[in-house]
Amino acid sequence: MSGEMPSERSGRHSEERAQPPAEQARNRARPEHTSGEMPSERSGRHSEERAQPPAEQARNRARPEPTSRLRIGLTLRIVAVLAVMGIAIFPLYWMFVTALSSDADLFASDARLLPDFSQFGVFVDALAEGETVRWLRNSLVIATGTTALSIVLGIPLGYALSRFSFRGKALMTVVLLLTQMLPEALMVVPLFSLFNRFELLDSLVGLILANAAFVLPIAALILKGAIDGIPRELEEAGRVDGARPFTMLTRINVPLIAPSIAAAAVIAFFHAWNEYVFAVTFIYSPEMQPASVGIASFIGEVGTPVQTVMAVAFMFTLPAVGFYLFAQKYVVAGMTAGAVKG
Amino acid sequence: MTVIEQTRAPRSEARRRRSPLGSRWTPYLFLAPAALFIALFQAVPLAQEIFLSFTHTSLLNPTSNTWVGLENYAHIFSDDEFHRTLTITLVYVVVCVVGSVGAGLGVALILNRSFRGRGIARALVTVPWAAPGIAVALIATWMLNPQYGIVNRFLNAVGLGVPGGAILDSSTYALPAILVTTTWQLFPLTSVVLLSALQAVPKDLTEAATMDGAGRWWTFQAVTWQVIKPTVGLLALLMTIWSLRRFELIWLMTKGGPVGSTETLVIDLYAQAFDSKQLGTAAAIGMVGVVISLIVIAGSRFVARAAEKENIR
Amino acid sequence: MRTPRVRRVTVAAAAVGLAAVVSTGCGSDSESGGGESEGGVTTLAFAASTFGDPGRGPQLQEWIDEFNASQDEIRVEAASVPYPTFGQTVLTQMGGGEGPDLVRFDMPEFEAASDAGLIAPLDDLIDVSQYELLEQPDQFMVHDGVRHGIIFEASNYAMFYNADLIPEPPTTYEEFFDTAQSLTSGDIFGLAFRQTEAEEAGVWQDIFNYVYGFGGAWSDGENLTINAPENLEGLQAYKDLYDANVIPRGADAATFRRMFAEGKVAMELNNGGYATHLRAESPELNFDAAPIPFPVRSQGSILAPIVINEASSAKEEAATFIRWALEPENQVKLQEILGASSVATATERSSESLQDMPYLTTFDDLTESSLPQVVLGFEAQTPDIRKIVVQNVIAALQGQVDLETALDNAQEQATDLVG
Repeated sequence: MSGEMPSERSGRHSEERAQPPAEQARNRARPEHTSGEMPSERSGRHSEERAQPPAEQARNRARPEPTSRLRIGLTLRIVAVLAVMGIAIFPLYWMFVTALSSDADLFASDARLLPDFSQFGVFVDALAEGETVRWLRNSLVIATGTTALSIVLGIPLGYALSRFSFRGKALMTVVLLLTQMLPEALMVVPLFSLFNRFELLDSLVGLILANAAFVLPIAALILKGAIDGIPRELEEAGRVDGARPFTMLTRINVPLIAPSIAAAAVIAFFHAWNEYVFAVTFIYSPEMQPASVGIASFIGEVGTPVQTVMAVAFMFTLPAVGFYLFAQKYVVAGMTAGAVKG
Repeated sequence: MTVIEQTRAPRSEARRRRSPLGSRWTPYLFLAPAALFIALFQAVPLAQEIFLSFTHTSLLNPTSNTWVGLENYAHIFSDDEFHRTLTITLVYVVVCVVGSVGAGLGVALILNRSFRGRGIARALVTVPWAAPGIAVALIATWMLNPQYGIVNRFLNAVGLGVPGGAILDSSTYALPAILVTTTWQLFPLTSVVLLSALQAVPKDLTEAATMDGAGRWWTFQAVTWQVIKPTVGLLALLMTIWSLRRFELIWLMTKGGPVGSTETLVIDLYAQAFDSKQLGTAAAIGMVGVVISLIVIAGSRFVARAAEKENIR
Repeated sequence: MRTPRVRRVTVAAAAVGLAAVVSTGCGSDSESGGGESEGGVTTLAFAASTFGDPGRGPQLQEWIDEFNASQDEIRVEAASVPYPTFGQTVLTQMGGGEGPDLVRFDMPEFEAASDAGLIAPLDDLIDVSQYELLEQPDQFMVHDGVRHGIIFEASNYAMFYNADLIPEPPTTYEEFFDTAQSLTSGDIFGLAFRQTEAEEAGVWQDIFNYVYGFGGAWSDGENLTINAPENLEGLQAYKDLYDANVIPRGADAATFRRMFAEGKVAMELNNGGYATHLRAESPELNFDAAPIPFPVRSQGSILAPIVINEASSAKEEAATFIRWALEPENQVKLQEILGASSVATATERSSESLQDMPYLTTFDDLTESSLPQVVLGFEAQTPDIRKIVVQNVIAALQGQVDLETALDNAQEQATDLVG
């Protein structure tokens, strides 16, 4: 096995033929909107603009004098967009409304569709408890640590898989994919005894290591795909200047694959932010509990305070969404450049 | 300006003749840290699990193992309930993959047009993916609550209510409800990826096709689909593998019930390991899952190769 | 060919990650479990699912704080392990030779853990002859002459009812059924019980009352009797109520208990611990309790032992905490927190609390006829038998098999299991 995922070769042809290789690379690494992070900003912009015209034409063509058929199409599209957005957002909105419902509203025979802001105290109380803040802080440490570790180890691995041929490469690729199918529930017992031996139980470091072990492979595959898209001649140049492979990786490749790094980071962050099975088993000090476990601990034997749970769940969701929105412009680009080529 | 811009052209003729960068040990230096890490935290535990799958081992005393050969495997395969579990897993995975890729593609096509507020729409649509699984399970369970859930209220209002509002509590509707929830959580990821894949579709080609009076469907399958096909393939593979191991959502919503109607491989594995405390049986179930995933990967490669050959011809 | 901003961001991210790793690493060194001492103070982790209860959790925390304030050598910290995975989590940790020092178990997990040798024998650590332990519940703490636990809470099952909706509580099953049926209308349900697989342990607790209340038993001490005719009769009564739609089907306990508090559920069979919870959460609610009106006065009780983890490195300190808990004034305080439950020793109810909560005597009177929800003679296998029984009963509720067949299947599977 070559380690190549279903390649993009077929699809990209028409676009690529028209452009010189270096431009290809840049476009491939960042097909979406980009910011000024790229090495040769000006030329990058250029090529993008050059690629744009057809889209612009399309936009212009859609505008002038809508016939009635077009107007129906437009209405349908607006309805579709609103429906999709509604479906995407509604459960979170409902989480918010539920958190801000009085007991009477919660168990009334008619649903209250709007939040009752007089109940806002539930958020204040949850935050004042101190626990919630601690949970979120622990989750943040775990997620950040996992992300950093996966990226730091994933970049060289992706680079090795992309740029070198070596014995065991095919096996390595299969192993990386294989790890993606091992459920946490299967690994929790052996990892427990392993962590016990290394005294990594009941520590956030242990969780970071365990989570990174699950995320690192997919991060490496994404980054490998991204590096595949960078023409080798860029490195050749550096090589002639006497740069060593590691320097070339950090100076040349890393900046170019920034979008894919962001994509891998988001996947790593989400995984670690959400992880429950390891966290609940490996942690027994309350100070170390992350938010995923903290929320579950509201589900009581005698009763579950629905509003508080929803309030905390909502606060637990916001940072992940925020992180995503922050990284989004890179992610979209990185996903095509990297994940897609896997 | 950059070094590269200046040096690229003159050096490029030298490129193919050069052996891979650095000495032959260089690749190993790059991959060693990650490989050691994965070996320690994935391969070692996996090897232990493979061993456990041939033993009787109790969760309460995991270090004392009795070797039983293939007994665990014989046991699970002779169990009718395990066959049901396999069927449910198959249904779950297929529907999740088709549902999330299908919905993702639909949404991507909608959002690929330009309209005012597209940026906001694209951002909002990704929210379900970012929502933590536990939070999703909690809100989904509450929304599906038989007495007070908004879903039942809505279904009753439009005349589609189920008797007693039993959804998660019904062996008929529990699996569909979980499938909808899973798809809801997955479609943003697929739509984001497909949306960016769609950027590679040459607009002039679709435009030309439309101008020539070709139907939308024809344009889609002749132009768009050809470009995004590899992406769809990869997404399908990832969704398959990830669906095979999805746990929290199902466990928190139904624990595999009622009457095993939502029991996938991973749920069965978890129940065996932690409720029945049979680590050996659980490990054997896990190995079945691993083999299934390997078959899926091998299959996907086979399909990819075939498709490539097709293209070359 | 360099992009300072990217590099700076990368370096910053790496630094943050590293800092996170380092700082948590330091934290973990000083705080990892297993009763490690630091500056002469031994910190013990005490795991109990009840710490998360909105009603009792904070009060239990205060009670523990009193212990921490009473001396300066031992510090007990409440580890609130989430209830949905409490057994799995703690047993995995203990099986791996780790975990909290002190655990408040429920009976089935207690039996499994003590059978596997995961619980420290207490005979040399605590001299129980000093205390007036309640005999009926305490007998289940001793296995083959070895003491493995001390009762933390013992709570009998009774019938809670909304006194505004039900002036006179039913006294027979027929009245019970009729009351439930007549009160069910609109969004009000006459009764509520657990009937979903997601609440396996809860279903087991609930059906226990129907089985024993109709004269049945899960075993005769030597053989399983899951499909005995009395059991069938009791579970048929349970299923009849389910079929009659007098309960909020599909609702989990957390939901239907809120419904009870809101006056939307009229009756519920529950244990005494619920009384405190209700009073804390819904002070306005006018509820009362009466014995379960089934033919035989025999019902379940929640026995929750406190145990010391065999793997703990601070058993003596853990025992010090238990000895403190057993002191009369601390037992009284615990009793007040737990409400209608009883504690390890006989405590006198104060006249104020009796006036305040007249139903306390109802619960106390049931102690002699209450049994822990384990399968006698097969205590350690209770969790496995529970799973089999609950799954088969739910299959019957779902209409996939008739109840008699379901119980026959359960009997067969469970007999296979126990060998």
